[in-house]
Amino acid sequence: MSGNRQDGSQSTIDTRKSKIPRVGVFVCHCGINIAGTVKIPEVLERVGRMPGVAVVKDYKYCCSDPGQRMVRDSVKADKLERVIVACCSPTLHETTFRNACAEAGLNPYQCEIANIREQCSWVTEDKDEATAKATEIIRTTMAKTVLDQPLEPITVSINKRALVVGAGIAGIQAALDIANAGYEVVLVEKEPSIGGHMAQLSETFPTLDCSQCILTPRTVETGRHPNIKLMTYSEIDNVSGYVGNFKVRIRQKARYVDFKTCTGCGVCLEKCPGRNESWFERGLVRGKAIYRLLPQAVPNRPVIDAKVCLYLTKGKCGICAKVCPTGAIRYDDADKFVEEEVGAIVLATGYELLDAKRLGSYGVGLVPDVIDGLAFERLLSASGPTSGEVKRPSDGKAPKKVVFVQCAGSRDSTSGMPYCSKICCMYTAKQAILYKHRVHDGQATICYIDVRTPGKGFEEFYKRATDDGIQYLRGKVSKIFRQGDKVKVWASDTLAGRKVELEADMVVLATAVIANPDGVALARKLKTQIDTHGFMTEAHPKLRPVETLTAGFFLAGCGQGPKDIPETVAQASAAAAKVLAMFGNTRLTHSPTTAQVDEETCVGCGYCERTCAYEAVKVDPARKKAVVNAALCEGCGACAVACPSGAMTHKNATKKAIFEMADTF
Amino acid sequence: MTKYAYYPGCTLYTKARSLDICARKAAEKVGFELAEMPSWNCCGAIYNATSDDLAAQVGPVRNLAKASQIGDKLVTLCAACHNVLKRVQDRLDQPGNEVESERLKTFVDEKYERPVKVLHYLEVLKNEVGWDKVKAKATKPLAGLKVASYYGCLMVRPREALSFDDPENPQVMDDLMRVLGAEPTRFDFKAECCGGYLVVNRRDVAKAASQKILDNAKAWGAEAIVTTCPLCQYNLDKLRVMTDGALPVFYFTQLLGVAVGLGQDELGLGHNSGDPAGFLKSKGLL
Repeated sequence: MSGNRQDGSQSTIDTRKSKIPRVGVFVCHCGINIAGTVKIPEVLERVGRMPGVAVVKDYKYCCSDPGQRMVRDSVKADKLERVIVACCSPTLHETTFRNACAEAGLNPYQCEIANIREQCSWVTEDKDEATAKATEIIRTTMAKTVLDQPLEPITVSINKRALVVGAGIAGIQAALDIANAGYEVVLVEKEPSIGGHMAQLSETFPTLDCSQCILTPRTVETGRHPNIKLMTYSEIDNVSGYVGNFKVRIRQKARYVDFKTCTGCGVCLEKCPGRNESWFERGLVRGKAIYRLLPQAVPNRPVIDAKVCLYLTKGKCGICAKVCPTGAIRYDDADKFVEEEVGAIVLATGYELLDAKRLGSYGVGLVPDVIDGLAFERLLSASGPTSGEVKRPSDGKAPKKVVFVQCAGSRDSTSGMPYCSKICCMYTAKQAILYKHRVHDGQATICYIDVRTPGKGFEEFYKRATDDGIQYLRGKVSKIFRQGDKVKVWASDTLAGRKVELEADMVVLATAVIANPDGVALARKLKTQIDTHGFMTEAHPKLRPVETLTAGFFLAGCGQGPKDIPETVAQASAAAAKVLAMFGNTRLTHSPTTAQVDEETCVGCGYCERTCAYEAVKVDPARKKAVVNAALCEGCGACAVACPSGAMTHKNATKKAIFEMADTF
Repeated sequence: MTKYAYYPGCTLYTKARSLDICARKAAEKVGFELAEMPSWNCCGAIYNATSDDLAAQVGPVRNLAKASQIGDKLVTLCAACHNVLKRVQDRLDQPGNEVESERLKTFVDEKYERPVKVLHYLEVLKNEVGWDKVKAKATKPLAGLKVASYYGCLMVRPREALSFDDPENPQVMDDLMRVLGAEPTRFDFKAECCGGYLVVNRRDVAKAASQKILDNAKAWGAEAIVTTCPLCQYNLDKLRVMTDGALPVFYFTQLLGVAVGLGQDELGLGHNSGDPAGFLKSKGLL
């Protein structure tokens, strides 16, 4: 170590021991993102005086084609042995410049990014400070870069099978696209049959085509597809491995019905005396202990809910076994675990509606005729509990006045969710239109904050709703309560500037769309990123919308954020395309900047194994030495920090490199 | 017997005397003591109506500072005092609010010795004494009394500072009534506005607001209303004078007093309009 670091003219690099490699530094202006705060000429001048710097250049947009050409040409012409690009975060353009270096014949892992944008030019308006900091960032990066060793990327084989989690319309679409391209898909669904929430819907906006009619061809195709292994009533227990080579442990819940023997005749469903809160019917009717979600279920086989079955809880009854003509009932059934090996995973875990009981002033649970949007879908659906006739829950009468409440828990950071649920404006308009189709003399009133119609045909559909005589009232609903057999709604009419009290026979709440809690739990288990509300986070909000930061995991549907059916289907196909693009390769490459063990020093204490979040380090019990599985290692460096003997290091981020950087600063 | 520093506030010395008296006597029966803090001053509630935020803060800060010299808990009863003291206490002790907190403390001579937790009497019963113990002390249960618990706007709002119960559908007073043997009715207007101070200059508005509350309680089959706010009690009771067949409006401490066996003369029933004693007798409770 040497040198006076005050004037920026000295480096800490020990020139006595080894020759300093020739370093090229390329400073990007990023338009005015960097150059607006960092004084580029000063940086160039200071960096130019650092030892080892063979060439310093700047360009307005280094990531552009001419910018990359500048780097390539310079590597060749100036015989560069290391490259530093001072620009934006390495998450954006590290790959870009490493590829450029590789094209010019330099080992890509000897090219480093000095990020002078996110934590430098963007966080201050003080030009002198920004300039000084940018110089220091480049100087410290230099200390590490000169130590960078040439590395070769690791390649791994790909198991060209995919796992799709969730068989709503998103999972179905992704599975079909992958299967139709000729690859095997394991499709896992936690419910007894597939179709998800779309199977609950009546008609769909903005075309009013029947949800069942457009969904069932897909569910049937999925059930019969030779490339799709359908596992219903199953959940993901554990995922291990890495992109291209995942091992998945799936828990198939006890069904108490042998699917091979059962013919789906439905006799058991008629005879079962058990009672069950029907998730599918949103509590509007009670289901049986042995049940299937709908008559068109795929697979069309019932399962027994062990929590309410009289035989399984009390040892009494057993009627289903008695009436079953094929002897398919298996009271001794138990959960089974199945192992599957796949190369890619599509997470299509979907949504739920916010529990409206959280909205204390809306009377949910206290007033029976206040229901949520999905329950109203069941009332409208021809296969629903009322066969499509609109009857209110309390007394079965056709409601003559229905108030629809938009943004019930959406755009509400105090008692609900701060975001817009995106689909409610349109489905409320649809529900009001369908209500008027069913009850011709009925009056539908929609209380809204504002109506958002950004979609093909949406604004026209909204116009159709207003033309149909549906009353739109701008203002938030403050309170809903029961008076006699009526429901009272306190709202405001902000256009007229007055408080209003509406009398209704029934109220439908467009409750907020939330990430499915089971999906949130799964994301936590898989350690894939979720946002503050539990929605899975995409790798880049604009440019990588269906990938995640965990290689090999892809996103489809409402698990990533609220969206309507067309958008869900488009995203599912996009996720499938990403999986197929991966399957188009023969091998996958993996960054070689991983942990490595010096076996001479390692004593096999196992600190590294306990620290590793990716199960990439294991201690070989025979030799008492840590072994790194480079394909699993994400290069986080935690094990290197934990290692008490210093045997564990991180390639190109060795302790020496880190200390050099710290010393230089 | 656990002793708590107690802040009664101005109204409990005047209009709402029975709220205060029953609270102190019932506390002794239940097993804790309310020790009135010395030389307390206005809680600051009335300054909420002024545009000067500081005036509304300094009064409570002094009260809290004085209470901090006695202990780390301060019990209140009036919904308005409770609201103001708790909100100011929240501002004083909230992490990240140190600068404002220090500034506020400079306005009073008394030293703020430690964070003071402001507790409503109902919180003491629920969390410090416990429902089981309260139930054991209810020697004369309010059997058969159907009662609507009316919290008003101040008891549990805003939710950030007064988070001990649901701001839209609070439960604590219903729970107490159940513990005392009464039957809390469903009630949609638990936390609606009673009309507040509008009773002074817009009696029509206050009357309409209170009327809705009374009508809803009656519609759900309530025979009486309980409240913890002197202003709510005043407005609802006033309406009772004006309306035929309106329900008697008690302070919750009065019904607590009945249940723990206070004598009729200790319940301050002279405060309530109509014939509250007759009503309680008709229900077999006195």
